[in-house]
Amino acid sequence: MHGAQSKRDLAMELQAQLPILRPSIHTRRANLTVKFQDLYGFTVEGNVDDVNVLNEVREKVRQQGRVWWALEASKGANWYLQPQVSSLSEGIVLKSSLKFSALANAMTLKKLIRKGIPPVLRPKVWFSLSGAAKKKSTVPESYYNDLTKAVEGKVTPATRQIDHDLPRTFPGHPWLDTPQGHAALRHVLVGYSFRDSDVGYCQGLNYVAALLLLVMKTEEDAFWMLAVLLENVLVNDCYTNNLSGCHVEQRVFKDLLSKKCPRIAAHLEALEFDVSLVATEWFLCLFAKSLPSETTLRVWDVLFYEGAKVLFHAALAIFKMKEEDLLLAHQVGDVINIIQRTTHHLFDPDELLTVAFNKIGFMTTNTISKQRKKQEPEVMKELDERLRRLNSLREDDRDLVDKNVNFEGHILYIAEFSLNVNS
Amino acid sequence: MAKTRNKNIQAKLVFLGDMGAGKTSLVSRFVRGQFSDFQESTIGAAFFTQVLSLNEATIKLDIWDTAGQERYHSLAPMYYRGAAAAVVVYDLTSSESFERAKKWVQELQRQGNPNLIKFLVANKVDLEEKRKVGNEEGELYVKENGLYFLETSAKTAHNVNELFYEIAKKLAKAAPSRPTGMRLHSRPQETGRRHSSPNLSNIRLFHLQVKWIKIKQRNGFSASETPTKHIA
Repeated sequence: MHGAQSKRDLAMELQAQLPILRPSIHTRRANLTVKFQDLYGFTVEGNVDDVNVLNEVREKVRQQGRVWWALEASKGANWYLQPQVSSLSEGIVLKSSLKFSALANAMTLKKLIRKGIPPVLRPKVWFSLSGAAKKKSTVPESYYNDLTKAVEGKVTPATRQIDHDLPRTFPGHPWLDTPQGHAALRHVLVGYSFRDSDVGYCQGLNYVAALLLLVMKTEEDAFWMLAVLLENVLVNDCYTNNLSGCHVEQRVFKDLLSKKCPRIAAHLEALEFDVSLVATEWFLCLFAKSLPSETTLRVWDVLFYEGAKVLFHAALAIFKMKEEDLLLAHQVGDVINIIQRTTHHLFDPDELLTVAFNKIGFMTTNTISKQRKKQEPEVMKELDERLRRLNSLREDDRDLVDKNVNFEGHILYIAEFSLNVNS
Repeated sequence: MAKTRNKNIQAKLVFLGDMGAGKTSLVSRFVRGQFSDFQESTIGAAFFTQVLSLNEATIKLDIWDTAGQERYHSLAPMYYRGAAAAVVVYDLTSSESFERAKKWVQELQRQGNPNLIKFLVANKVDLEEKRKVGNEEGELYVKENGLYFLETSAKTAHNVNELFYEIAKKLAKAAPSRPTGMRLHSRPQETGRRHSSPNLSNIRLFHLQVKWIKIKQRNGFSASETPTKHIA
């Protein structure tokens, strides 16, 4: 009896010690990497928990689909595409319609979209709510086909860079990395490079356009989504000549971080860590290269309805989620590792979006635009000084052919800018 | 921080160069031992770390691998600010890429840190039949501009370890012999003799060391636990 008791005690004791003696069981399970395909066909490497999370996400997506169908049944087909409802983001709901039902619908839609648009409905909902449908309706029906035909066989610096990047855009993806996938992506990117020669082709757009193709299914719709994104949704000049818009966004982001997450901002500053080191890629690829596909697309769901402020919400949330870990980091490398581990494993979109919309606090597109205006002159001045320095470098080098082209472009650029300032 | 008998150096290394020159491939070949024909295009920059152990020092490299497209040029200062070493890469099958490399070198020469260790690297030496930029062109350019030169192939791994090893050696030389970990930002560099091929007798030992560290790291040892004494 006594012996049995002590044996049991010993067993219990051992059991209690087990995690201490063999912590590696848990670590090993967590570290075991499995390869699997996510909802959009991307091969992801993750641990067992990630697989479980992804399965839960699949289930949530199905449930969310049922919610959308139920609403469709009660409110009528395409209720969310009514102009009074879909224009919430433009803030003209109250002016254009005093109908309470429309306002209620708009509020419902906003909440619904933050919870995610079901993948089957995404093409239709995005196309309408983003303004792509409207944009397309202002040109002849054959615009896209004509454009594609007109540019066929033309070679420009942009097309050369696009061709170079086609096989380097999500290599290994079961559709994107096939001849058909490459051809479709090429049409969209080349077409756009001719539509807007200021943008031409900017690396980063390859990832954005590739995801748009996966969602929208047709080249033409993906093309219009890309157009509305660059011309209406995002800030101007994000992708043009010297990425000035991107520089502005980064400064605004830094400001917002110190307002919304002052402890993190102060700590990172003490480490001499510039948040742009990680955030530049987020803003240029709209997270396509950093977050798992469904999480990226959930950010885009809201982006197309509520505007570019959503990118700031998501970016701030990534820092906010890891506040405690980040405050313990002592080196730049640690910070980057924490952030990258977080983004790569964010398989549950709600984990990110809950923080993004509930814990960051209220921001309006308007306040962000004001911030941008404030930062613009400083950015322009900096870029201008840099360019001047580089040009003076080039003066020394008589072999450079493109010197004058760059220089003239630059003068025009300054002239344009000073006009803007004066007006 | 682990105290070791020899120098513990942490240094920032930045890769610059035209798009498709092979910056990411070189870093990935060295850090992960992997190569793929179609490397994802880099946006902004990618970050890697790697610990190198030499006889005289342990060097932790924070490696910034930057985006190559010309318009990304305006972001570059953020990545090369505070760097102790820079590698400018060009694709030896493209003269344009060599021209871009020269612009990078010019910019680095004016960026304010005279002690920055600069390497010019001609990548894709495996594509000899498509070569557009001769070895002597690269050699001549570095002679005139005071940097180091190597021809590499990320695909075959030719000269890849040698490149990082040479950088590490120069960093170790430049760092003063204080025993604790330090950041190497703008320490005076010894007026180095320029040479374009690494000392071969040390390279084999170095390969073994790198392999050994990698095995250790894979087995869960952190970089700071890596013993630093290897081969006397």
